[in-house]
This record gives sequence, structure tokens and C-alpha cells, in this order.
Amino acid sequence: MSVETLSVESRPASKVGAARVGIGGPVGSGKTRLLEQLIPRFIERGTKLAVITNDLTTHEDAERLQQSGLIDPEQVRAVETGACPHTAIREDPTLNIQTADELESLYPGLDLVLIESGGDNLASTFSLDLVDYWLFVIDVAGGDDIPRKQGPGVLHCDLLVVNKFDLAPYVGVDLERMRRESLQARGDRPVLFTNCATGQGVDDVVEAIGQAVLFDQS
Amino acid sequence: MLILDRILGQASEPELAERLHQIGHVGGLELLQVSGDDVQRRRLRLTSDAGTDCAIRLARTQRLSDGAILLLDTERAIMVRTDQPQYLMVRAVDAAGALELGYFAGNMHWSVRFDTDVLAIQIKGEVQDYLDRLTPMIESGKVQVESPCVP
Ligand SMILES: Nc1nc2c(ncn2[C@@H]2O[C@H](COP(=O)(O)OP(=O)(O)O)[C@@H](O)[C@H]2O)c(=O)[nH]1
Ligand SMILES: [Mg+2]
Repeated sequence: MSVETLSVESRPASKVGAARVGIGGPVGSGKTRLLEQLIPRFIERGTKLAVITNDLTTHEDAERLQQSGLIDPEQVRAVETGACPHTAIREDPTLNIQTADELESLYPGLDLVLIESGGDNLASTFSLDLVDYWLFVIDVAGGDDIPRKQGPGVLHCDLLVVNKFDLAPYVGVDLERMRRESLQARGDRPVLFTNCATGQGVDDVVEAIGQAVLFDQS
Repeated sequence: MLILDRILGQASEPELAERLHQIGHVGGLELLQVSGDDVQRRRLRLTSDAGTDCAIRLARTQRLSDGAILLLDTERAIMVRTDQPQYLMVRAVDAAGALELGYFAGNMHWSVRFDTDVLAIQIKGEVQDYLDRLTPMIESGKVQVESPCVP
């Protein structure tokens, strides 16, 4: 019987996979540190997750997470991006897609795959073929004019995370102004402030991801 | 929140068209407006025109498109509506302008289509953002911008 002759209700459903969430942003802004804060929180709320990190030529971030004791090391994979980290998350995300597919087939109950991009500049964005939702992490030490610089990452991400707010007094950054200008540049799409050294503000990031792609009841 | 996790079919299929027509008569057809960027997503949260909070969660092999039916029962259906992507048509006045425009658009990571001497740049967000970036090239007469359109 062909699909056309099946009644609509009896057409076979395909298996819905895990949510895929990207974490992008410049080198050193705190992406891996954010992962280290997110992982225990997701595990705590019963979300089954796996992690993919993208590094230029090493597996440093993956190894750091594998050795963290926060997550089963088998559930952390490294993708080696070669020269241009943004290529692996945007123009040709095949390697990342394959790695996520592999993790999903090895761990059928996965709810969430977090994908950290290799650090890049403010222009890096994620392909929506690869992820359902993506965060862009900048830090206050980069200067409070970053939101005004209109980088595509800052403008187009689903959630902007401004990390290292604890450093604001040392680098002369006005957090309120940064919040205002971030919201303005992003047409009021969400911006959250975190201190990933201590975990302050990270619960709100978990909440935002939960609402957007894990569909928590609120 | 209503979870919608499969595409049941397309509104254009004869069997579905007939049923949608009937459901439309009793006011049960809800439309879900999905923007040009969001249509690529497998998961998203949107409110239908009837105010239903919809959580879409599709298999990686499925893809939203205009007319996709996400819910269908005897009195109610939910159908996707998408905008056609808009393009900014930029004409290079000569080969030198074309080289510069191509190089620049690539550096900006814009999605483009080639149409002989016109570069069709897909507009994601505000068209003004694109015009702002192109201002130096427009003012120096290397390229000419035609109004945004669906090619
Ligand atoms: N003070 C402070 N340091 C942080 C914070 N988040 C990350 N760091 C530090 O910043 C450095 C770079 O962080 P990392 O997560 O490796 O950055 P990545 O390159 O974006 O993955 C590390 O030494 C972190 O410990 C924060 O919120 N406050
Ligand atoms: Mg890192």
C-alpha cells in the first residue's frame, strides 16, 4: 500500500530525536565553563544528555569534560575542525551532524545534545540544520561595546549569554548599559548574564533551553 | 502546550484538502505562521492564530514547509504558513564591482543566489542591516541595489 492510500492518521511516524543546542562564541568567553555548569544541572533535572566539542586540532575541551567526573566520558565526543571552526557549525556541519546521530543511536533515550563550537569571532553562527537552538557566549571583559558592534553571532543567536559578570568592576563595564544595548540590538530577544566561575545565573540558562526546546511545562 | 511531533501531510494532497475544507467550514483550521529562518528548525515553540501554544518537535528527516499539516482530527487542524524568503537584488556594474561584491558577501557569510550579473542576497532579519553594510559600495557606484523581492 502506498503512502497516498494510507489514511492520514495511520501514516508511520518517524522517530523524534534529541534536541540539539549549539554554544558558540569567541575563544575564552567561557563556553566550556558554561558546559561544566550546565551538565550537572541538566542531569539533576533528569535530562539525559551528551556533549560534542569542536576544537581546532586538539581534543582539549572534550578531555577536560571527560575528566571532570560530571558526565560519563563516553557521552562526550570531540570533532576536529581543522582550520576554520565556523565551517564545522555552519557551512558544512556534516561531521557534527554525524557525531550527534552516532550519539543518538548509541544512547536511544537521549533528550539533549549540547554542541560547543571551536572559539571563533563575533561573526560565527550555527546552521539550523545542525541545531534547533543556539546560544552565543560573550564575556564582559571583551568590553561593553560588543552588543553595539552588531556581530551576527550576537544578533542572531536565540539566547545571548553575557558571561563573567563578576569581572565588570575590574574592566570598567557598566552591566546595566550592556543589558540595555544587548536587548536593543537583538530586538528584545533574550539576554542572560552569568558568572560561570560560580554558577550564578546558570539556572536561567537551563530554564531558557528547557522552555525553548525541551518543552517544560511552565 | 500542544506537542506536535510529525508532519501528517501537505494541504495540497487531495484527501487532506477535502478534510481541511470541511474543518475550515466549522472554524477549526488553525494557522501557524513560521518565519523564513524558523522554517529550518526541527524544534520550535509558536502560538497559532487561534492562540494555541504549539511545541513542534520533528524527526531530523522531516522539514516544515508551507501547507504542512501538523494536527488533524474531525473538527480541528493545524497548518503551517511560511513567508517566501525575501532577497535583496544587488547588481554589480562591472567585473571589478562583481569581484568586490562577491568577496564581501562571502566574508559576511550571507546566503546568496547567483543570477547572471545580479547577486540575490537572502534577507534574514532587517533589510536595513544589509543596506548599511553595502553603503560604501553603493555610494562609490560599484553596485546598484534593486528593491527586495522574491525572485
Ligand atoms: N572570573 C570568571 N572567569 C571565568 C568565567 N567563566 C569562565 N571563566 C574562565 O575563563 C577562562 C576561559 O573559559 P573557557 O570555558 O575555557 O572558555 P572557552 O574558550 O569559551 O571554552 C577559564 O580560565 C575559565 O575558568 C566567569 O564567569 N568568571
Ligand atoms: Mg572551550
